Amino acid sequence: MTHRKILIITTNHSSYPGADAVGQARMGYDANTYIIRVPDPVMFPEDFYLNAFDKGIGGIIIMSSGSDCPYEGAYERLSKRVARVYEQMKAKGIAANRLKLTTICTVCRAAFLKEISEMQKAVASV
Amino acid sequence: MEDKIKEEASRDNYRQEPKVGVYVCHCGGNISDIIDVKAVAAALAKYPGVVVAREYAFMCSSNGQDLIADDIKNLGVNRTVVAACSPSLHELTFRGVLQRAGVNPYLHEHINIREQASWVHKADHAGATAKAIKLAQAGVEKVLRKDALNAIRVAAEQRVAVIGGGVAGMRAALSAAGKGLEAVILEKAPRLGGKLLELGKMYPSGEEGPAVAAKLEALVRAEKKITVHTGAGIEFVSGFVGNFVVNFKNPDGRMEQVKAGAIVMATGYEHYKPHNGEFGYGEAANVVTLPEFLALMKKSPAGRLALAGQEIKSLALIHCVGSRQVEGVHKPQADGKVNDYCSRVCCSSALYAANQVKEKYPGVRIYDIYRDIRTYGMQHEEYYDKASKDGVLFLRHNEADQPVVTSDRTGHLVKVKDVLTWGEELELKADLIVLVTGMMPSDISLIRSQMKLPASADRFLQEVHPKLRPVELANSGIFVAGTAQYPMDVPEAMASAGTAAAKAAILLAEPDIPLEPFVAVVDEHKCTGCGLCPAECSYDGALMMTEKNGKKLAQVNPALCKGCGACVAVCPTRAINVAGWTLDQFDAMVAAIAKE
Repeated sequence: MTHRKILIITTNHSSYPGADAVGQARMGYDANTYIIRVPDPVMFPEDFYLNAFDKGIGGIIIMSSGSDCPYEGAYERLSKRVARVYEQMKAKGIAANRLKLTTICTVCRAAFLKEISEMQKAVASV
Repeated sequence: MEDKIKEEASRDNYRQEPKVGVYVCHCGGNISDIIDVKAVAAALAKYPGVVVAREYAFMCSSNGQDLIADDIKNLGVNRTVVAACSPSLHELTFRGVLQRAGVNPYLHEHINIREQASWVHKADHAGATAKAIKLAQAGVEKVLRKDALNAIRVAAEQRVAVIGGGVAGMRAALSAAGKGLEAVILEKAPRLGGKLLELGKMYPSGEEGPAVAAKLEALVRAEKKITVHTGAGIEFVSGFVGNFVVNFKNPDGRMEQVKAGAIVMATGYEHYKPHNGEFGYGEAANVVTLPEFLALMKKSPAGRLALAGQEIKSLALIHCVGSRQVEGVHKPQADGKVNDYCSRVCCSSALYAANQVKEKYPGVRIYDIYRDIRTYGMQHEEYYDKASKDGVLFLRHNEADQPVVTSDRTGHLVKVKDVLTWGEELELKADLIVLVTGMMPSDISLIRSQMKLPASADRFLQEVHPKLRPVELANSGIFVAGTAQYPMDVPEAMASAGTAAAKAAILLAEPDIPLEPFVAVVDEHKCTGCGLCPAECSYDGALMMTEKNGKKLAQVNPALCKGCGACVAVCPTRAINVAGWTLDQFDAMVAAIAKE
């Protein structure tokens, strides 16, 4: 396990309960993972992610509700914002695979673990 | 819909020097077996802003809650962080503690160190402990930046939509009506009753299934608060707690709509259908499932058990068909998974049926072939005792050595590697093979996908918590009753339906439901009136520009705002935030997590 911390941004409606479902099933993953929950990650401006990297966060997984997002237009706005973050990361020399926008539902246990596993590989090479 | 939402009058202008109390729960050993809770409390006791940090066996217990209330009273704690189970279980519990102690309930932060720490980091105690400390510190940073908030209330339809008109659906509707609510039953079949209509004599009452269904239906039809739609094909379910809309098609093709404040899912089960050739089913004559056998018994003449005119002098019951399946041994279902769960009720059902056979046709030889027998439930073990005394012969096999049935014109030969005789391979002849089949959930994939209803690994609807919230789904306002949740017998289904109706009645006890006040708010001192934020808002009228004392300002209508935060990200001065979820809070949390 790497010591680099992974920040996982989850949604109240979808991916946070999904993370709970992983625990309820007693599936395991590494302890360098820190889950925070928000109504929707669309609220974070571009600099939130860049500041998090500056503070020492190794990787960030945005686990959105995707097209099932209960907020109208939020996912589309989030996708565009994350695309802008990638541009800014590139300009600053931050590897693109340290940020991942994905969709996790309340029962997406396997997908949740897969995303963590992939991010572990990304932060291991930081 | 938006006109039904209003903000509760402000009763709180809480402004005091923040004093944080941190409370770390052992959850019995669920947390403390993995995480060093004393170390977490010790680390947090030294954290800036924290005046007290404690650990306790069960923070959610009365004694645990009293610890917090006492600290509020004696130490002046005015913000709390509880590190425990998921906030979906107990965040409201602890908000209640603050409220009762005179502190604004939203000055609380709930940290999940069970589902997202101890339960997933079992092999890494040190890592889990370090993570719990960081999460609790992040929680302190967040709560230090929280403001007192006031609830928003949503006007709710005083009506329950009950999907499914079997025993659980009818019972749920009757219970809801008994509590003063309107109930609408939507049943896809042409008549009420569900699987009860197929059953014969049922344990433990000995009543016939159709008779019970008829009794319940008579009560339902007599209740003015209940409306019944049979032959109703549900097309689309939408909405949210207090304001669900169920669109369904009548048998004549007409579309109708039910508006409801809550939904009870009483969608029932299907019998496991053995695949072709499973113990000879579908290929050999006289191989039937237990439900088919019960129907056969109803038609059989007194004094003679017969199938298609042929007398049955011996029968073999084979348990666990379609349940407790083993990967690699059994054929998987369409989703690629075997039914590895126990269907619970089949053992008692099989033994009850065996006893009926012995009572009506004492000369029939019965072999009961099982892996394990689980006659759970009050006095159900008596069915096993009676069967033993009446001469039913029991044979037990292990999971890898399934019984083998070979059939010819003379009947069936069953080979069993019997562990009760130390693995001896026994052969027995039987005129009839009865497969004791398990339950599978009804296909409700359409509603499940539309409403994102959670299901467990065995495909039944999954409650939030089996003990604490046993009939609530994670979707607020949606409850589950009967075998839609897991295999259960009729008394259990009735009990669960009554509970679901009671929870719906509690939810809808008042004309409006209090919801969390997490909507956008504008700091007028920071707002420069740039006008970027209204363009981000998808909800008409929720966010507009206005003028106040000659200054352009963004203005939020809290009745229309959904609290998504799309506006927050574009504000160059961070003047707009979602109440309770501000960017400053998250920045501070991330800093606390990132700090070495």
